[in-house]
Amino acid sequence: MPSTPAIILFLPLAVAAFVLLASKGFKLNATVCALVSTASVAITLVLSLALIFGAKSDSPDEVVKLFTWADFGSLQLEINATLDRLSRGMLFVVTFIGTLVHVFSLGYMKDDAGKARYYAGLSLFMFSMTGIVLADNFAMMFIFWELVGVSSYILIGHWYTKDSAADAAKKAFLTNRIGDFGFMIGILILFGATGSITFAGVEQGLTAGVLTGGLLTAATLCIFCGAVGKSAQFPLHVWLPDAMEGPTPVSALIHAATMVAAGVYMLVRVSFLIGVSENAATIIAYVGGFTALIAALMATQQDDIKRILAYSTLSQLGYMVMAVGLAAGEAAMFHLFTHAFFKALLFLGSGAVIYACHHEQDIWKMGGLKDKMKGTFATFAIGTAALIAVPFTSGFFSKEAILEAALHHDMLLFLCAAGVALLTAFYMTRLVVVAFFGKARTGHSDHATEVPMIMLAPLMLLAFLSIFSGYSIIADTLSPAAVHSEFNLAIFLTSLGALIAGAGGAWILYAGKDKDPLNIGIFRNKFYFDELYSVIIKFAQDKFAMVVSAVDDLFIDSLCVNGISRAVNGFGLLLRRLQSGNLQGYAFVFGLGILVILYIALINT
Amino acid sequence: MGNFLEAPYLLEAVVVVLGLALLMLEAFLPKADKRLVAYIALFGLAGVLVASFNMKAPENLEHSFWSFYATDNLAFFYKNIAVLATMLVIVMAIEYTPVLEKYVSQGSKQGGLGEFFCLPVFVCAGLMWMASAKEFITIFVSLETVTISFYVLVAYMRRNVGSLEAGVKYLILGALSTGFFVYGVTWVFGLTGETHLEKIGIALQGLEGSDSAVLFAFTLILVGLGFKVAAVPFHVWVPDVYQGAPTPVTAFLSVGSKAAGFIVATRILQPFLEMERLHSSFTTILVIVTGATILFGNFAAIPQTNFKRLLAYSSISHAGFLLLALTCTPDQFQLTPGQVVAFYLATYLLMTMLCFLVLTIVRRSTESDEIAAFSGLHRRSPFLAFALLIGVISLAGVPLTAGFLGKFFVFTLAIDSGRWILLAFAVVGAASGFYYYLKVARAMYWEEPTELAAIEISPLARLALLLLIIATIVFGVYPAPILGLLTN
Repeated sequence: MPSTPAIILFLPLAVAAFVLLASKGFKLNATVCALVSTASVAITLVLSLALIFGAKSDSPDEVVKLFTWADFGSLQLEINATLDRLSRGMLFVVTFIGTLVHVFSLGYMKDDAGKARYYAGLSLFMFSMTGIVLADNFAMMFIFWELVGVSSYILIGHWYTKDSAADAAKKAFLTNRIGDFGFMIGILILFGATGSITFAGVEQGLTAGVLTGGLLTAATLCIFCGAVGKSAQFPLHVWLPDAMEGPTPVSALIHAATMVAAGVYMLVRVSFLIGVSENAATIIAYVGGFTALIAALMATQQDDIKRILAYSTLSQLGYMVMAVGLAAGEAAMFHLFTHAFFKALLFLGSGAVIYACHHEQDIWKMGGLKDKMKGTFATFAIGTAALIAVPFTSGFFSKEAILEAALHHDMLLFLCAAGVALLTAFYMTRLVVVAFFGKARTGHSDHATEVPMIMLAPLMLLAFLSIFSGYSIIADTLSPAAVHSEFNLAIFLTSLGALIAGAGGAWILYAGKDKDPLNIGIFRNKFYFDELYSVIIKFAQDKFAMVVSAVDDLFIDSLCVNGISRAVNGFGLLLRRLQSGNLQGYAFVFGLGILVILYIALINT
Repeated sequence: MGNFLEAPYLLEAVVVVLGLALLMLEAFLPKADKRLVAYIALFGLAGVLVASFNMKAPENLEHSFWSFYATDNLAFFYKNIAVLATMLVIVMAIEYTPVLEKYVSQGSKQGGLGEFFCLPVFVCAGLMWMASAKEFITIFVSLETVTISFYVLVAYMRRNVGSLEAGVKYLILGALSTGFFVYGVTWVFGLTGETHLEKIGIALQGLEGSDSAVLFAFTLILVGLGFKVAAVPFHVWVPDVYQGAPTPVTAFLSVGSKAAGFIVATRILQPFLEMERLHSSFTTILVIVTGATILFGNFAAIPQTNFKRLLAYSSISHAGFLLLALTCTPDQFQLTPGQVVAFYLATYLLMTMLCFLVLTIVRRSTESDEIAAFSGLHRRSPFLAFALLIGVISLAGVPLTAGFLGKFFVFTLAIDSGRWILLAFAVVGAASGFYYYLKVARAMYWEEPTELAAIEISPLARLALLLLIIATIVFGVYPAPILGLLTN
C-alpha cells in the first residue's frame, strides 16, 4: 500500500497521463476526462486534510522516503516527501484551491474544444506543484520547479491558435528560465560547498560554517533568483500580467494562488539560508518592497480586469518576499495562505464576470453588474474587502503581521508597505466601482446574467475562507507557527488610514464616471519595462550577435569548422582508402597492427 | 547440487534443445511456412528469458563443475542480453523474409530458409555459455560455437555476391584472429600451467622474470578479443562484412558478437591487470588500442553515405568507448569497469536494435541501405522516423536517452581514473558522433521523399519498436532497474 504522500503526489500524474491517452487514443468523452481529473484532485484534497488532522500538535517533522531516482555514490537524487507544518498547510491550500478551480472550470470551460487537454494540463500542474511542496532536497525541488514551469507554459498557451496567448506562454517560460538558471547556480554552489543537496544536509553544512561571506551571499541571492522568476519579482515581473492570456481559472490557480507563491514557499523552506546571510536578506526585502510598490502603481491605471488583479498579485507577492527578507517567514506564509484564498476568489469572480459578459475583459465596457450578478458581486466584494484589509477579514490580519515585521526592522520599508496598502485600496475600489456600479456601458454587460451554481459554489466557499481564514482556528492549522501578534495601535491606525484614504479617494474619483478621469502614462505603460527590455535585448542581442557572427565567420567557420572538417574529411578519405575491400590488404593491416602493438609492448616499454 | 531445476546451466541446455527441436520441425514439416519456426523460437526464448530471473546461483560451489562456470550477476546479465538480442534478431529476420526469399530460395518459395531462423538460437546458446565461461577451454569452445554459426549466417544469401564476399572475408580474418588467440592461450598455459582464470591470476602474481613472455601472450590474446569487439586495428573486417551480411545478421554481429567479446575481455583481462608489476604496460597497450579505436571509428564514420556501413563504423566507435571503460581503475566511482561495460552494452543493445529494425523495414520497401533511402521518411511513416530518431539520438548520446547514461558512466569512470587524454579523444569522438548520426535525422525530416507510398509495418515489428523506444527513454531517465540487476 503506497503511503498517503505518494498517492497525493503521483495520482495527478497518473490522471494526467490517463486523460491525455484516453482522450487522444481512445476518443474518451472530454467531460468524462474532466470529471476524472476533478475527482482525482478532490481525493488529494481529502488526503491532505487527513494529513493535517492526522498530525498531532507535537508530531515530529518527518521525511517519507518514496524512491531513489538515481544513485551516483556521493550524490543521491531522491524523491521524498517532507511532512511538517509548513508542507501540510501548503498542501491543503494547493489541493483545496485546485479542487475549486477544477470544479469552476467544469462550468467555465464547458464548451471548449480542448477541454481534455486543459484538464490534463491542470493535473500535470497539480503533480508538479505537489512535488515542490513535498520536496526535501534541492534537486527534487528544481525538477518540480521546472515541471511547474512547463505546465504553466502549457496552460497559458491553452488557446495556442491565438498569437497573444502563444507569445505570453513563451514569454513566461523564457523569463522563468532566467531565474531558474540563477537558482541552479545557487544549488550548485551550495552542493559544492556542503556536499549535500538535501535541505537538512545543507543546513548542517552552513551551521558548521563551510560557506561564509561573499560566496554565501551570492549563493543565497542565486537561490533567490529562482523565486524572483517564479514569484514574478522585479526585474523579472514582466511575464505575469501577460500570462493572463490563459483561461481565467488557470490564472486563479497558477498565477494567483499556488505557482507564483511557490517562490515564497521555497524561500521560507530555505529560510535557514536567509537567516545566516544578512546582506542577502536585506536585498531580498528591498526587492520585495520595490516590487510591491511599482506593481501597485501600475495597477491603478489598468483597464483589463484580469490585469488589475495580476498587478495586484505582483504587489502582494512583493509583500510576502519582503516579509521573508525581514526574517518573518511565518508572516509571509500567513499572507500566502490568506492571499491564496481571496485572490483565487477574485480571479474566479472575474472569470464569472468575463463569462457573463461574453469574454469582455475591459472594466470600462462593463458597469452595473451588481444587480445582474448578485452572488458574484457579493463574493467579489468580500474578496476585495480581504485584499484591501478591511478590519477583521483574513487579509487584515495577515497584512498586519507583515506591517509589524516591517515596523520593527526598517522604517523605509514600513512606509513603502503602508503606501502600497493605500494604493491597493485605491485600485480595488476603482475596479469594483467601475465594473459593478453605475450603469451598463455596453450590450455585453447589459445582457449579463448570473453564472450557474457550479461556478458560484466555489466562489462562496472561497468567500467564507477569505473572511475567516485569518482567525486562529484556521490560521494556526495552516501556518508554520502561531502568527497573531499583539494589538499595535500605530499599525492599526496606519492600516485603517490607508484603507480609508485609498478607498475614499477612488470612490470620489470614479463613482458615476464613464471614462477614466486620470491618465498617467507611466503607470498605464507599466513604467515602460517591456519597452526597455526589448530595447536592451534588441540592442545587446544585435551587437552581440554581430560580434559572434564575425567571430563565427572568421574564426570558427573558416578555421575551426571548415579547417577541421577538411582535415577530418581528408583523414576519412584516407581511412576509406585503407578500406579497399581487398582481403589480402586487410590481412596485411591486421598483421601490421599486431607487429606495432608487439613493438610497443615488448621493446618500447 | 541444490535444486536441479534452478541450476543456471539449464538455461543453455534448454536453448540448445530448442534449437535442435526447431531443426527437426523444419525438416519434418517441409510444407509449412518457415516463419512458424521463427515464432516458436521467439516463444521458447521468451520462456528462457523469464526463467532466467528465477535461477539461483548454487550455494555450494565446491563441485568441480562450478570452477569453470561463473554464476555471478554479470553472467546472468549477459545471458539476458544474449536472449534479448536473439529475440530481436529473429523479429528482424521475420521482417527480412522477402529479401531472403529473393536471394536464397531455390525451387519452392521458401526453400532453404528454415535454418536462418534456427542458427541464431544456437548462437544464443553459445553466447549464454560464454557469459559464464571462466576457463580458457570453455571460453574457446563457446567463442567458436558463436563464430562458426556466424560464418554460415553472414554468407547465408548465397545468390548475393555481397553476402558471399562478406562470408569469405569474415571466415579468413576470423580464422586468423582465432589462431592468434589460441596461440596466446598456449603461451599463458606454458607460463602458468593453468587454463583457469582465477588460478592464472594467482600464478601470474607469483611469476618471476619472463615479463616479455607475459606481455607477448597478453598481446596475442588481445588480438583475438580485438577482432570480436571490432577494435582498431583488428576491425578491418567490420565495414565490408556488416554491409554484405543480411541485415538481421549484421545487427546480431553488432550486438551479440560485441557483447560476447566484452564479457570475455572483462573476465580475461582481470588476472592480467591485477599483476602490479606489469600493470602499466598492459594499460599502455589498452590505451593505445582504445585511442585508435575511438578516433578511427568516429572519423571514418563521417564521410559514409550508406547507413549500414555507417552503423558499422558506429559499432567500432562504441567499441572504443567500451574499451575506455576497461582501461580504467576507478578510485571512488561505485561501479566497476565491468559493470559500466555491461550497462553500456545493455543500452547499446536497445538503440542499435532500434536502428537495425527500422533499417530492415525500410530496406524491404526501398531495396536500398543508403542514407538517401531515408529521405522524407517521416512523411512515409512518422512512426518509423520517430523510432529511428530515438535510435540515432541515443547512439549519439543525447541526454534523457539510454545512450547518454552509458556515455556518462564511461566518462565519469575515465575522469575518476584520470584518463585525460583518452577522455579528450572520447569527447571529440562523441561530438563528431552528433554530426554523422544526425545526418540520418536530417534526411528523414528535412529532405523530400522520392516516393510517397506509406511503409507497412507488421504488428510484431511495431510492438518490438514500441518497446525499444519506451525502454530507450525510460532507462535514459530512470536507469535504476538495470543498475539493480548489475549490483545487487
